[in-house]
Amino acid sequence: MKTLRLTAFILLASVLAMAVDLPTYTVRLQAAPDGSGQGIATIALAGCTPGTFNLPLGFTAVQDLRVEEPASGIRLESSERNGMTQLKVTLPPDIPAKATLKVSFRLKQVFQIVKLKPGEKSTLPATSRTFKHAFVNTQEYLIGAYRVEFLFPDGLMAQAIREQLPKPAKNEVGPRVLLSKVDGHQAAILQFNKLQQGDDTSMIVELVPTRRSFGWLIAGLLLGGLYLFKFKDLVATKQP
Amino acid sequence: MEKMTLSSKTREAQSPTEQWMRYLGFPGGILLFLLILYLPAGAGLSAGAQAGAASFALALVWWVTEPFPTYVTSLVLMFLLLVTRTSNAKAIMDVLGMEVIWLNLLAFILASMLVKTRLAKRMALWLVVRFGHKASWALLAFLVLQLVLAPLIPATAARCVMTLPLMIVVATIYGSTEATPNNFGKNMMLLNLACISVLSSITMTGSSANLIAVGLIQNMGGQRVYYMDWMRVGAPVAILTMVLMWILGQKLLFRMKPEEQVPQVEGGLELVKKQYELMGPLGFQEKKAIAIFGLVLFLWMTDIFHMRWFGVEISAPFAALLGAVIVLFPRWGILSWAEADIPWHLLIFSAGAYAGGLALDDTGAAEWGVRMLFGGMNLKGVPFGFTYTVVISVMMYSHLLTTSKTVRTLIMLPIIITLAKALGWSPMSLALPAALCIDWVVGLPISGKPNVIMFSTNQYSVGDNFKYGILTCTIGVVILVISGATWFHWLGITPSFWAVAP
Repeated sequence: MKTLRLTAFILLASVLAMAVDLPTYTVRLQAAPDGSGQGIATIALAGCTPGTFNLPLGFTAVQDLRVEEPASGIRLESSERNGMTQLKVTLPPDIPAKATLKVSFRLKQVFQIVKLKPGEKSTLPATSRTFKHAFVNTQEYLIGAYRVEFLFPDGLMAQAIREQLPKPAKNEVGPRVLLSKVDGHQAAILQFNKLQQGDDTSMIVELVPTRRSFGWLIAGLLLGGLYLFKFKDLVATKQP
Repeated sequence: MEKMTLSSKTREAQSPTEQWMRYLGFPGGILLFLLILYLPAGAGLSAGAQAGAASFALALVWWVTEPFPTYVTSLVLMFLLLVTRTSNAKAIMDVLGMEVIWLNLLAFILASMLVKTRLAKRMALWLVVRFGHKASWALLAFLVLQLVLAPLIPATAARCVMTLPLMIVVATIYGSTEATPNNFGKNMMLLNLACISVLSSITMTGSSANLIAVGLIQNMGGQRVYYMDWMRVGAPVAILTMVLMWILGQKLLFRMKPEEQVPQVEGGLELVKKQYELMGPLGFQEKKAIAIFGLVLFLWMTDIFHMRWFGVEISAPFAALLGAVIVLFPRWGILSWAEADIPWHLLIFSAGAYAGGLALDDTGAAEWGVRMLFGGMNLKGVPFGFTYTVVISVMMYSHLLTTSKTVRTLIMLPIIITLAKALGWSPMSLALPAALCIDWVVGLPISGKPNVIMFSTNQYSVGDNFKYGILTCTIGVVILVISGATWFHWLGITPSFWAVAP
């Protein structure tokens, strides 16, 4: 019993003593035309002391998880919590105060797949794709700046940002989700600063094919032509 | 003079140019729609925003050239917003339930009361008898009236609706009717329109958007704007501009013929005097109308005390709603529902315009446009005066792109405050003068609530409105720039125009 208590005390002490700051947490996810995605998460660590902490990744069904930048002997294990991938990060005893952790991963399906029940009405056109991302800071350390760059596959563009949470505070300039260009691709960028434990942020983006239907062109030209023909009298010279 | 009907008929094309505009406006609108829709999308713009901008551009061309009545164009716009997936059905339909639409509807019931009891006629005749020896003095009387009302009633639509019956009756006395509009009517309507909007910038309580701007300057810029800070910069600019527009409207834009400068009722001013005398003392119904209108006016003016007095705020539409209940009350009221002249076509036009404007805001198209405008300019290291002029000009003319002062404020002010900080200027030096432009929404019939109401009088065209509005805004920019270099600098708000930030 004594040994057990001692072990528990040592474990608790190590956890309590462990400290780290996360000034930035950036995820770049490049979607491919087939719906798969390749992601890279770059996490800056500061004020590091040895110990272990669990870092949420904010994605499900992550494959091929790999440490790209094995910074200063940091060890990484992945696990699932409430269906979300979580990284168990172990900082070694000789960890420097500042380090960077870079992790790559693959997602089999980036877009949300909605299976309609028989007779159920679809809320989106068949050509639309929906990307949904939600992140909850489940660990105790503050994340200074959280940023997700979702790069659209070739041939698709944003139809609309369907959700962007939380609503920007009064002192925040610009929207929560911004459309921009990253590495030659249109991208939706989610940004949220100072994520405390329990804070969450999310975005839903609807994508549609870049090429628009020619229906508008044909209908517009037809209508315009028909009007010019049928309403000629508007400018006809009046006979005395 | 006894009626105030706002017709739903399209104004007749008055010149060959207008006829051609109508003929070519329809395909022109479609071509612009297709052009914007099929343009390669900018990286910062969604397909929904692009389609929204295309639909709004089409509606704008049709509103200006009028191939259809304006309310039909609004209905087309609402349909386009749905089928291009810019907005969803609920968002589009909900616009008809917006506060502004309710306020318009209820205010027209109150205006019908003023017309039925002949109170509007009595006040108009008094105005003409007192100031109508010359048309320009009659116009000046309206400028003074709007100047007095502006600090008392913050709701511009309410101010517009309460003075509209007077405008229509006075315009009729000077021979300007819906069927035969003349330059007196144009001056009367457009001067009032500009006064209603521009004079709201005299005080920081002149509109809710002004208060939002004050809040943003405090929260984001860290500088407090007091009531007098705002007034001593806002009042001279607004009043001087309107006095100049009173002169320029008559002398430059819409010169009045000699016969338009005197009352055109048979018998001239003498008959007007006689008619006024014939009306006799105030009747019971007129007194009742004054009492009801006084109650509504009292509630509009005292809204900041409502919470303390009643434990609830009675907003402008609800004050008008209370007035409408009394007016329509059986036996004790003044009007029956059938006598209330509610211009539904105008409400549909407003709904379409607001649906389009909101779509531009919600999809981020308006914000994208503003960011592109500022992002395309390198203002680092240039003298303050240049940056100041650019900011004021963009703020002033950006009202042509949106229909909501609040949304425009929420988009523009944070960008301007951030820009000021990034360039090394005090946020107040750019943000306060820019905030003075918030209420100057005078360029188009869809730029603001009073614009929508006034346009339905059919006394001027979209082109007339645009000419008058742009001249007003340009004079405003010039006065603001001169003030920025002198008056505001002496007050310590702006640095020297030649100063370059370190």
